[in-house]
Amino acid sequence: MKTCTNHILVINPGSTSTKVAVFQGARSMFQQDIIHSEEDLASFDKIADQYEFRKNTIISVLKNNDIDLTCIEAVMGRGGLIKPVPAGVIEVDEKLKNDLRNSPIGEHASNLGGLIADDLANNIKGARAFIANPVVVDEFDNIARVAGHPLFERKSIYHALNQKAIAREYAQSHSIPYEEVNVIVAHMGGGITVGAHRKGRVIDVNQGLDGEGPFSPERSGHLPIGQIINYCFSGDYTEKEIRKMVTGKGGLVAYLGTNDTRDVLSRSLRGDDKAKLIYDAMAYQVAKEIGAMFTVLHGDVDAILLTGGIAHGQDFTNLIRERVHKLAPVFVYPGEDEMKALAKIGTRVLTGELKPLKY
Amino acid sequence: MNQDLILVINPRSIYTRVAIYENYNVLFLKDIMHPDQDLGRFSHYLEQVNYRRDKILSELDNNGICLDCIQAVVGRGGLMKPVKSGIYEINDAIVNDLKSAEFGDDYVNLGGILAKEIALLYPNLRSFIVDPVTVDEYHELARFTGHKDFEKKSIFHTLNQKAMAKRHAKALMRKYEEMKLIVVHLGSGISIGAHCHGSVIDANQALDGDGPFSPERTGSLPVGDLIRYCFNSGKSEAELLDMIHYRGGLFSYLGTYSALEVDAMVNNGDKKAEKVFEAMAYQVSKEIGAMFAVLNSEIDGIIITGGIANSRWFVNKIIDRVSNMGPVHVYPGVMELDSMAQITLSAIRGDEEILEYK
Repeated sequence: MKTCTNHILVINPGSTSTKVAVFQGARSMFQQDIIHSEEDLASFDKIADQYEFRKNTIISVLKNNDIDLTCIEAVMGRGGLIKPVPAGVIEVDEKLKNDLRNSPIGEHASNLGGLIADDLANNIKGARAFIANPVVVDEFDNIARVAGHPLFERKSIYHALNQKAIAREYAQSHSIPYEEVNVIVAHMGGGITVGAHRKGRVIDVNQGLDGEGPFSPERSGHLPIGQIINYCFSGDYTEKEIRKMVTGKGGLVAYLGTNDTRDVLSRSLRGDDKAKLIYDAMAYQVAKEIGAMFTVLHGDVDAILLTGGIAHGQDFTNLIRERVHKLAPVFVYPGEDEMKALAKIGTRVLTGELKPLKY
Repeated sequence: MNQDLILVINPRSIYTRVAIYENYNVLFLKDIMHPDQDLGRFSHYLEQVNYRRDKILSELDNNGICLDCIQAVVGRGGLMKPVKSGIYEINDAIVNDLKSAEFGDDYVNLGGILAKEIALLYPNLRSFIVDPVTVDEYHELARFTGHKDFEKKSIFHTLNQKAMAKRHAKALMRKYEEMKLIVVHLGSGISIGAHCHGSVIDANQALDGDGPFSPERTGSLPVGDLIRYCFNSGKSEAELLDMIHYRGGLFSYLGTYSALEVDAMVNNGDKKAEKVFEAMAYQVSKEIGAMFAVLNSEIDGIIITGGIANSRWFVNKIIDRVSNMGPVHVYPGVMELDSMAQITLSAIRGDEEILEYK
């Protein structure tokens, strides 16, 4: 018999860390950001191979902190690259696990979230495993799907969890339902996505994983396509190497050898002109994407919300604000709310308010 | 007034547009068509130089225009080194760079080559190009892509964008150099430029880089998917470059290069045509929004120009999305020839500095 209620374990694997937390409702009881060193991760060829390593690290962290898992009723994993799904919460089953392991569209650390969540839930009596608002949440208007050639289609892949959580937080604090506001949300972390939220639906967003929009700490964003073709046929690079230039070793890493925006800022403050220029260029590209999304919403925008780790940098958000503040009021929500967002969604499931979807 | 006759040459894929200007007036204008059976003999546009030159000469001859009376030949400027805006006397460096296709491989390169070829036939005949597509006034932030091995180049419809922006400024009795404008060129390629006080500080790279799709071109494609396609489709590099340059966009979806034909399809209730045409307007609007941010959300106006600006349906789809950024002005058509002739005239009269290409 469980005497405790609404206890939720949250697992959120990112590219270089795994966040783990225990919540009771929306109240955090324990949270740790487990940093994985580059050496630790370098030994794995594929992200999927990191499964055991990350899972065991989580288990030992929980053990070392004397976390009692018997109370846990739901394990929430961040969702990964699976087939397009509606916004909401999905119970982990074999079909979902299969797609998380063998992603139909590409590998991403967040794929491990649902897998680890399921494994942990299996070892806790009465616990269920879920993922919520994975990166493939798809609410695009059809017009946004058109690329520029019928062989290609634009896809909805973005930081749905944090974008939606922040948009809801903004709406709540202004006492309007999320389903009634138009906002542009720029999530700025290791990847950067800028979404156009129209009355609760993200009708367009740059495909932040491999190939659209602004560059970010680790990703190139859009690159000139003619030159990409030249590169692919140059014979100098493998497919994997070129894709690595786009995802993983693009953006700040390519220009400055670091994925740490704070490091870039401090270099630029110390007089490193190149660092300053690239810092400015990243903000410039984010601002351009916000401008693009402004037209997606027909210029009818209640607010622009800047969030994610990079939004901690006031210099950076100010550079964006300068260019876009005339479009709509700009609000900054620094950091990520993903753990809390997952816990909140988990609580709504446990209280019966939200029905889990089947994959 | 014979002293100021100017021959203007603007080569297109399947025709060569030639005009004779006397002072600021068009005396003669002709699209010399190049039928498939003619062009089919050539495997590359550079092989068409003598053919197109002779076509031009005989066309002028047939119309009683004597080349002895002409002071200058001006050709459409092609893909060369990045240069500042203005008029350039054609020298060997220009011809070599256009012929080498080192800076880009497109039939627009024929303009300067043909102008020089014709000028060589007559003593004292001077040849020029004006505002080639590689005019570069980018500010430094616009050059970054997202990887150090890739640079965003300034390649767009400089000539028409600047000509229309100046015409607009003049109509308002203002100086182009004092205005902030977004100029949208809607032709077989589409470019959107952020004009800040006389300089185009950012524009989508309209040849094979980024931005909206157009009648011929794909514009941006999802980069990851493109890489997978390059390595796994079995297509050659030339086929893929051809696809993004000439067989993308409207053509790939609807089988026609003519936006006005698509406009008619939409009017006739063709749902697919409507979806694709609207998506093109959607992407153009997004690029306008991006340039709005480039200009710090402060502009004097948006100028929509080019042949597709004749489609009211299309233009209205754009206006619907961008009208609250600033006043929108529509100037259908292009004034490339007028602009080339005017600037050349000013130059040979000594009113405009002639630049040297190195």
